[in-house]
Order: sequence, then C-alpha cells, then structure tokens
Amino acid sequence: MSQSLRPYLTAVRYSLEAALTLSNFSSQEVERHNRPEVEVPNQSAELLLQPMHISRNEHEQVLIEPSINSIRVSLKVKQADEIEQILVHKFTRFLEQRAESFYILRRVPIQGYSISFLITNKHTESMKTGKLVDFIIEFMEEVDKEISEMKLFLNARARFVAEAYLGEFVY
Amino acid sequence: MLHLKPHNLLIQKTFSEALEAAAAGAPLTLDRIISDFDYTTFHISNSPEDKALLWLSIRTKAWQSIATCDGNKNGLLPFLESKFTSYPSVSIPSSFESGYDYTLQIDLKSLDAATVLQLSLVKTLIFNYPFHLSFSEFIELSKQQPVTDDFSMSSSQSTSKSLYTIRYRDDENIFIKPSNDRITVIFETIFQDETDKVFGKVFLQEFVDARKRNRSIQSAPQVLFSHEPPLELQQHQQGSTNTDKSRRFITFVLFPRHFQTVELQFSTVCQLTLFRNYFHYHIKCSKAYMHSRMRYRVDSFIKVLNRAKLDEDDEETIDEKNQPHQRRTFTGRKMVY
Repeated sequence: MSQSLRPYLTAVRYSLEAALTLSNFSSQEVERHNRPEVEVPNQSAELLLQPMHISRNEHEQVLIEPSINSIRVSLKVKQADEIEQILVHKFTRFLEQRAESFYILRRVPIQGYSISFLITNKHTESMKTGKLVDFIIEFMEEVDKEISEMKLFLNARARFVAEAYLGEFVY
Repeated sequence: MLHLKPHNLLIQKTFSEALEAAAAGAPLTLDRIISDFDYTTFHISNSPEDKALLWLSIRTKAWQSIATCDGNKNGLLPFLESKFTSYPSVSIPSSFESGYDYTLQIDLKSLDAATVLQLSLVKTLIFNYPFHLSFSEFIELSKQQPVTDDFSMSSSQSTSKSLYTIRYRDDENIFIKPSNDRITVIFETIFQDETDKVFGKVFLQEFVDARKRNRSIQSAPQVLFSHEPPLELQQHQQGSTNTDKSRRFITFVLFPRHFQTVELQFSTVCQLTLFRNYFHYHIKCSKAYMHSRMRYRVDSFIKVLNRAKLDEDDEETIDEKNQPHQRRTFTGRKMVY
C-alpha cells in the first residue's frame, strides 16, 4: 500500500464510523413514511448533518453525507486516462445492475462521483456497523487494484495479439 | 483460437457431408444459407435437374467494387475461373443464381477434399483479385524503374496512378496502392461503439509498436495508424465529404519479400483480408474476459458484505436460554424501535 493511501483510508474509516450513528426516524412531513432523509428534499435542516469531504487528490475523493437515519457515501475512483474511464464506468455499472444483492449500493451514483452507497438505519440494524465500514474500505482498495489489473491485461493482450498477427508475415 | 482461418468451415462441412451422403448412395437435399464476415452470404443448393450437382452461390458487399476495380476490363470472372480450372469437379454455369453475385456448379461424383478446401476459400479468392492486380502492376512498375540504393534519387519513386478500392462494409474500405518498391494497403475503419473505439486504439497502438519492440518480427510489414487519410489517399479523395471524426486509417506497407512467390502472395492476402475480423474478434474477446472477471469480483465483494450480516441463528439460541433480547409481537414479528 502506498504511503499516502494509508492515511486516506484511515481518515475515511474514522469518518464513516463517526457518521454511522443512525436511528430510526419517521418522516416529519408525510405521515406513516419512513424514508432516508439524505435522499429526500428536506424542509427541516436539523435532520441533515454536516457533509464530510475527504480528498486524496483531485481524482480520488470520498463524500460522506450523514443525516438522522441514513448516510450516503460517494466514491470517486481514480481515472487517469481514457481506458481507465471506460473500465471504471463499465465496472461500476456492472455493480449497480446487481444492486439488490449489495443491499447498500445506490443504483445511480450522485453527480461527479463514480459510485455511491446508501446506508440506512435498517442496514445498521441488520448488519454489523464495523463490518460495513470494513466493506467500504476493502471496496476502495480492491477497485483501484482491479481497474489497473484490467488495464494491464488489455495492454498485454493487445501486444500479444498484434505480435501474433504480424508474426504470420514472417517467412 | 488465436488466428482466424481464411476458409469457411461451414462450407467445408456441408460439402463433406454431401460427399459422404453421395458416396453412400443417398445424395442429400440441400438448401443452406451460410453467413460469413462482412455481410457475405453463401447459398448451397441442389441443381434443379440433377441431385448430384450442387450449386454454391456467393453474394458479398465487396463484389461490386472488386468487379469494377480493374477499369472495365472484366477480369474478375476469368480470374476466378482460372482458380478452379485445376479442379475438374467444379464448373461455372452460364448464368448465376438470381440474387447472388457468383455461382459455382460442383459435381459430387468427382469431388475430393482438396476441391472442398478450395471451394471454402471462394470469398478470399474474390478478395484476392485486386491484390493480384496490384502485384502484377508492382512487377511492371519495378521493371520500368528498378529500385536503386541511391537514396538521393528518392524523388524518382514512381507510384501507380490507380488505386484499388474494396468496399467491403458500409463505411469501411480497403485501398491498395502499388508502387515500384512496395505495395501499400490501407484500411479505413469506423468504430461504432465508444468502448470499441478506446479498446481499438490500444490494440492499434500495439500493432504499430509491435514491430519495433520485437526483433523476431522485424521483417513483418510496417504498420501505421492515423486519423487523417494518408497521403496515398488524399489525391484520390479530394471530393470526399466524409469527414467523420471516428474514421481511422491503418496502413500496411508490404515489401517485395511479402509477395515474392504465389504461395506468399496468397497467405499475405488471406492475412490482410482477415485483419479487420481478427482485430474486432480480439476486442470482443477482451470484453468477454473482462465481463467474466467482473462477475468474479462481484461475487467476492458480496462475500465481504455478507460478513457484515448478523447471524439469525445465533440470536435464536441466545433467546432460548436467556431473557429474550429481541421483542416480538404476538404473531412472531420482530419489534423495531
């Protein structure tokens, strides 16, 4: 793990732990509704807490938006060039299509980020908070690794294919 | 399967089947339509009079441009005929099947395996024609103006005025330009898909670099890649209005060593006509690989997430022994505070 990744992940971990103090909260506006307050247009400012923005550099950022009964975590995955952009886009879309098996994954990332998670009090009641944080941290580590591996694979394959094709012309 | 084969496996198989059936005394009734790359269709059917005679018809998008590329000399039909004269079981009917560009009539009684192979190459043979023309033009040009080692006379290079064009797909063409020391083959290609465009760029870059990097393939043709039409094309394409940004030009420079003998010529042409298919095939392969990889990765992420889940069974056992931690309603539902 590189020198600057460790403090970045630590910061994200502590911020998430601090933010994941959720309680059940019924809507103040609509009777018999219980909805994630971070997702709905809100009249009552007291339900939303201060968002936390952790940034390693301009390409890698995390935005944590806490509220009384839900938090939204948005990740920006590093995209250094055109290929990584496409790979990140494909990969996150692939995950989002399977959001129902991921429980906490949001189907659409918020503007400017690659992927978003929405954790509500329902999730913290049925899952261990510490493990949820572990999951997000591990996700952040793995995604970068996966993207760079896929890129390397693509280059290696292209090289092999090109050499094999041109090799046919050598007599 | 790294390399694509120039012959069509389905044609080969169909004829082998027909041959076996005919040898067994029960000729097959055939009416098969076979598709190939680049909007090519084959039709294999029995001749209306005799079951032992088969017709193999081909329709290809490139036919029109190949038939006219020699400037109204109508050399294509004699050229194809010459490719089949050494195979006695193949004859060419006086009129072609309607809806198809070219028809061959095959007599099952005298058909053999070598003929079947030649038949399955018919599409490559059609594509071969403009290359054949440019090879002969190259020989003429190099006789008129032999290549000298004197590089100061580089202005003496003479190129052919003609440019052979194969329009083999809707917007994609192959251009062949012979000159006195080389033959330039240019592929014009368009990527429909945004992902293909980026993947294609990676692949093409490797095609360009492969020769420089790997010493063992130094003698392969030089490959160039550009977004602009190469100089060879510019003089021919003045009126062209197609200025689509997504056009790519891939140039192969063939030197005499790539087409010295007839066998070399043929294998070079086979490789070149399959270039686009090969290239796109491997783009699709990488996409498929990435897909399976992402599938695997999703599974491993789900595993990590499932670790976070509270185990239902554990709660139950505690409930039985001690005070119930979990309050339940009368119907057994859990209470949520």
